[in-house]
Amino acid sequence: MTETKLEFPYSRTLGPVVGAFLAGLREGKLYGIRGADGRVLTPPLEYDPETGESLGTDMVPVGPGGTVVAWTWVEHPAPKHPLSRPFSFALVKPDGADTPMVAPVDAGSIEKMSTGMKVRPRFKPEPHGLITDLEAWEPV
Amino acid sequence: MPAAKSTRGDIAIVGYAQTPSLRDANPSEVQLLVPTVTAAIEMAGIGRREIGFTCAGSCDYLTGGPFAFVSNLEAAGAWPPISESHVEADGAWAMYEAWMRLQEGDIDIALAFGSGKSSPSNPAEVWAQQLDPYYLAPLGVDPVSLAGIQARALLDSGKATEEDFARAVVNSRRNAASNPNAQLRDADASVEALMAQPYFRAPLRKHDCPPISDGAVAVVMARGDRARELCARPAWIRGMDHRIEAHQPGVRDLTSSPSTALAARKAGYDGGPLDVVELCGTFSPQELILLDALGLSLDGDTKVNPSGGALAGNPIMAVGLVRIAEAAARIIDGSANRALAHATGGPLLQQNLVCLLEGE
Amino acid sequence: MTDTAKEHMVMEHLVTLTYHERLTENLNRYADNLLEGRIIGAKCPSCGRVFVPSKGYCSLCVVPTTEADELELPDTGIVTGFTIIAPVNYYGQKKTEPFVYASVLLDGADTTLGGMDITGVAHSDLRSGMRVKAKWKPRGERSVEAMSNRGWGGFGDVVESFEATGEPDADEEAFKEHLF
Repeated sequence: MTETKLEFPYSRTLGPVVGAFLAGLREGKLYGIRGADGRVLTPPLEYDPETGESLGTDMVPVGPGGTVVAWTWVEHPAPKHPLSRPFSFALVKPDGADTPMVAPVDAGSIEKMSTGMKVRPRFKPEPHGLITDLEAWEPV
Repeated sequence: MPAAKSTRGDIAIVGYAQTPSLRDANPSEVQLLVPTVTAAIEMAGIGRREIGFTCAGSCDYLTGGPFAFVSNLEAAGAWPPISESHVEADGAWAMYEAWMRLQEGDIDIALAFGSGKSSPSNPAEVWAQQLDPYYLAPLGVDPVSLAGIQARALLDSGKATEEDFARAVVNSRRNAASNPNAQLRDADASVEALMAQPYFRAPLRKHDCPPISDGAVAVVMARGDRARELCARPAWIRGMDHRIEAHQPGVRDLTSSPSTALAARKAGYDGGPLDVVELCGTFSPQELILLDALGLSLDGDTKVNPSGGALAGNPIMAVGLVRIAEAAARIIDGSANRALAHATGGPLLQQNLVCLLEGE
Repeated sequence: MTDTAKEHMVMEHLVTLTYHERLTENLNRYADNLLEGRIIGAKCPSCGRVFVPSKGYCSLCVVPTTEADELELPDTGIVTGFTIIAPVNYYGQKKTEPFVYASVLLDGADTTLGGMDITGVAHSDLRSGMRVKAKWKPRGERSVEAMSNRGWGGFGDVVESFEATGEPDADEEAFKEHLF
């Protein structure tokens, strides 16, 4: 067996929209952005997913609570997964947002999971400037 | 028929070949391609140098080497230099480019191929890298987890049940039983037995997910009278189109595939009778979503995935073009007269390609 | 917009991908032979060109090559192209001093071995056409673990370097087809 390891060390500039969202996570805050049709998109996008027009840089505070819109259960997390114990990958719609975001839900067991369940965010104590600073959503 | 320019409906598949879908092929990706491309060319009955344009599809992240696609080109015989191109996408998109190139009217024959070996990598890690690098890739969210979310959304929408997922798998396994190139075959597959299996990524069971596969496929296309010379019953490409949706899963309705419906319409599919449909639904709920987008069902008159489809063998970067080759094979052998083939790219059916094929 | 500190406008993201696979049959035979101090190539049954290492096919004729087409080559040859790299301290670069990166065309081969160190000659005296011979590592120190099916060949870690022999240089005709 041969082993080849490829590493791609990226430093990505973020711009005013993604940068503002990830900076918000450092402070335990969630933001969306208003789409062309008035919907609040979370996480905020630079361009409208339907029309392609620029959405500017005005952030709309959302959360802190959220609702699970769809979910799956990861019984055996992989090394690259955000949590090391069984968890749910879910679409979570923060309060005040019109679109859900992909995020882990740390519910402990699949029995605690249901569509429509209310959750609250748990942030990492020491942020790294990544989406994973929102460590997981937890059942309320 | 005169060899006029803009011959959109006058281009046909006249040769094809594929490797079996294998869990762990020892030969290199190029070594898989060499006999496959040669076999497609031999089936078409042409000389290698008669090919006016070549296009290949593969993924360097999957192969695990920068510029890996350059080596793959050696399977076409690239010296002295040939006119060629490459797409970092399924071979179906390579075929699309070659089909477009043929429409310029100055060449008569084009070659497209696709190849991929998933076995050396951890596909769950590799495919996280096709996602938005800010909000999704750092989460390590893998295709199976995303498909699990989609499956739940489909169940919650009331459009399908877990038994429906299993029905799609049974159709795949049983059809694959008579396909020597398929990887997962089971003539005795049953919904009851599948439903008894544990969840893998709930609500998905392992059989709702595609296998990890290595493989390659090649297709030769020819134009007008040249196609008729080369093949007794060419598979005429009546139309081909691909459409894309937004990337973030949260801004899409994951339970429908409007891009598939639109691509099918633009490819000339009018909802009329089809003998065969070959869909690249790599997860069983996706097959149901695709069928719905096309106005078809597992129980209708159209034979769905007679090859077994992507659930029976998923050589990523080839699997979509395999669907087209399988549909073309049934036109060429006379068992079908109108067939629709589908390929997909991106997360959760983000991008979809439809190819409509007919006999004379 | 929300005030975002400048240092928060960049995201550091290390992507790591690991690949595990068996060497192809042709590379496996090549690697086994290297450990024994032998270099084997494959001769195309159609055009007669000799590939080192074997790719399992001839990339010009597009015909497969098999074990029956393989032959042993001498460990002598000539430098075709070369460069002297002054290492920049980029991520993953372990070298600190200028080093040679040369292509070596073995006698009887039609493809070059890339990325070879050339010793026995000052960097300033390196020339295309220079005759060289493999300086093998002791048997127990040879390794082929770094070889893989990807990339353009490879030589594992079986030689210290190719050393200049001091023989007269080869004529340009011998290497002009092998320069980048």
